[in-house]
Amino acid sequence: MVTKPFRFLLFLVVIVGLIWGMVIGHPTRIFAQDNPSGTTKTLVMATSPDYPPYEFKDTATSGEKIVGFDVEIAEYITNKLGYNLTVIGMDFNGLIPALRAKRADFVMAGMTPTPERQKNVEFSDIYFEAKNTIVSFQDQNYQTIEQLKGKKVGVQLGSIQQEAVKNWPDVIVVPLNKTSDIIQELKSKRLDAGVLENTIVKGYIAGNPGLIYHEVPNTEAAGSAIAFPKGSPWVQPFNQVIQEMKASGKIEQLAQKWFDRPVVTTETPEVPHGTGLKLDFNKIYSNLPYILAGIFITLQFSLVSAFFGFLWGTILALFKISTLKLLNIFSQGYTSIFRGTPLLVQLTLIYFATPQLTGYDITAFQAGILTFSLNSGAYISETIRAGIQAVDKGQKEACEALGIQYQLMMLDIILPQALRNILPALVNESINLLKDSTLVSVIGVEDLLRRAQIVGAEKYIYFEPLIFVAVIYYLMIMTLTWGANQLEYQLKRSS
Amino acid sequence: MNINSNEAVNTAVKVDRLYKSFGDLKVLRGISTEIQKGQVVSIIGPSGCGKSTFLRCLNLLETPTSGHIFIDGIEITDPKSEILKIRQRVGMVFQHFNLFPHLTVLQNVSYAPIKVKKMGETAAKAFGMELLQKVGMADKAEVYPSRLSGGQKQRVAIARTMAMQPDILLMDEPTSALDPEMVKEVLDVIKGLAETGITMAIVTHEMGFAKEVSNRILFLDSGLLAEDSPPEEFFKNPQSERAKQFLEKML
Repeated sequence: MVTKPFRFLLFLVVIVGLIWGMVIGHPTRIFAQDNPSGTTKTLVMATSPDYPPYEFKDTATSGEKIVGFDVEIAEYITNKLGYNLTVIGMDFNGLIPALRAKRADFVMAGMTPTPERQKNVEFSDIYFEAKNTIVSFQDQNYQTIEQLKGKKVGVQLGSIQQEAVKNWPDVIVVPLNKTSDIIQELKSKRLDAGVLENTIVKGYIAGNPGLIYHEVPNTEAAGSAIAFPKGSPWVQPFNQVIQEMKASGKIEQLAQKWFDRPVVTTETPEVPHGTGLKLDFNKIYSNLPYILAGIFITLQFSLVSAFFGFLWGTILALFKISTLKLLNIFSQGYTSIFRGTPLLVQLTLIYFATPQLTGYDITAFQAGILTFSLNSGAYISETIRAGIQAVDKGQKEACEALGIQYQLMMLDIILPQALRNILPALVNESINLLKDSTLVSVIGVEDLLRRAQIVGAEKYIYFEPLIFVAVIYYLMIMTLTWGANQLEYQLKRSS
Repeated sequence: MNINSNEAVNTAVKVDRLYKSFGDLKVLRGISTEIQKGQVVSIIGPSGCGKSTFLRCLNLLETPTSGHIFIDGIEITDPKSEILKIRQRVGMVFQHFNLFPHLTVLQNVSYAPIKVKKMGETAAKAFGMELLQKVGMADKAEVYPSRLSGGQKQRVAIARTMAMQPDILLMDEPTSALDPEMVKEVLDVIKGLAETGITMAIVTHEMGFAKEVSNRILFLDSGLLAEDSPPEEFFKNPQSERAKQFLEKML
């Protein structure tokens, strides 16, 4: 009689596993080495599409596609080699981990071959050399490195500018996640100047009147190169094509095409140092379909995670109240680990470590859902356990006295009562899940927030897309709360 | 199997040197007795004497520390016995009713027959209605328990137990949680059941009722069976000093 509950729990675990497999279990095999046969061979390029004009999303016209200088060079090279190109987007800081985790064949992201990076990946020849510029407001007008002594200077985290500025005397370096963050911090006067590449700076200057820039001589090599995993067979073939492109003037031609393109911003006269946000939502009008499509991703993500989190949390809760010591220890240890470590850490570990550990090429979406289900399960299990234990002991005794089996008792009698008690807590958990889902943008899932950031990068603006999606999140959560209140009301009425 | 020919035919419950401790607290200290088929036995005694624990051991809601219990000759204290099967034949009515609050009265009554006995839903519902009729609760079939008075709840709980058609009925202080004016309606239902010839063991504080319906009184004191006699004898002429004191306080 002790093993019966255990068999039931085992059964539940298997069921959850099966549903998991059915709903999101299709591994995508997109790497070149994974489909050597077949006529359309594909190389996968990873990039960070928030760095126009190198790589970005022209969300108003070409939709979801990542375009830009780097992408066109990559297309040219892979074409020459007889391959198709697939471009996947993720955070800049995730690019090298992605290569090492064999999630991509190569990385092009305006990346400069620094010695630190060379320890981890292999680089092609430099295909384009950019110059660093100092960006500041007109009335400050910093022009030389010397003028920046003692000043706060913003650079993109992990970028070549960060490396370069390290060697500038007495500069206070402030690394930020995105180029657009630097511009925004400049405008908020938390920074005195920013250091950006001459290739991308024009767009920001055009989009943010009052800013000017000055080129500074390179203190060290600052060109962009293509990154490969160590020992990649592609370095040599790529280098050949790069040399050809340099010789034929193709690179120069592409540079002109992308770096001198007109910047798509509706220019609004702006007082450089005025206070208050000068918001202009017309700027993102053409990107609305792209941003709004993120609602679906975010909802899909949150709902599927909430569903699995709930099932898994229920199982863990049953483990916790089980009479089997081993199950108690497991579920308590599990909860302690998943509650005791940051969600972001779990997410990146699962996404980047899974392919190396298991050989299974987990997609960003799957990794996100897996992490969130596992994490949410830990939290929910505590809630459900408390809910089950709050159900009057007499209910269990009545079931036992009637000869009702453990699984029927749990499913039909105990859990419905427990759930009714913990409904408010479950709604809270779902709201948290919906908001925490923004973390998946780190591994490149284009949820609502990520789309706002991409549009912001494309349009060289900051607040408008963010405020817009904040309102959408608020509306989604209000709807969820309203629905939960209705449900609670219905449940109350029925008893 | 522990079936001892003739004896088993008439013995519904056999208890052999039953001990039960909660930690250091020895609640039952070696109780042996038998209940014959069709007997109605009242178990009485001062609070803390172990009468509820004794009753709850009979369907293993409490696991005995040692000793043997046989139901219809089958040892339920044998770890290999199929306890769920046995429990289906031993019904229990609780002091606090323990109705399922999220199910209607009729669902409460028909749930176990449908899910455990695999009775058809229509048949189970019809049978449930019949039982509710008997306890006078048919008009509340579609109501949730929270809308019922204590006496009504206990009548529904009795119907729910009877729906499994048990051979033996255990009742654990069935009227103790009721307001005084509701005690009678429940006792009347129990009396009606007692007359059907079902085997019954009732833990109760209702001395008048015990005297009226039961064939036997078991008086428990400090975890021991202090007295076992017919009600007339017990109430007129209790043997032990402890029972005399108890009856003086109660009557």
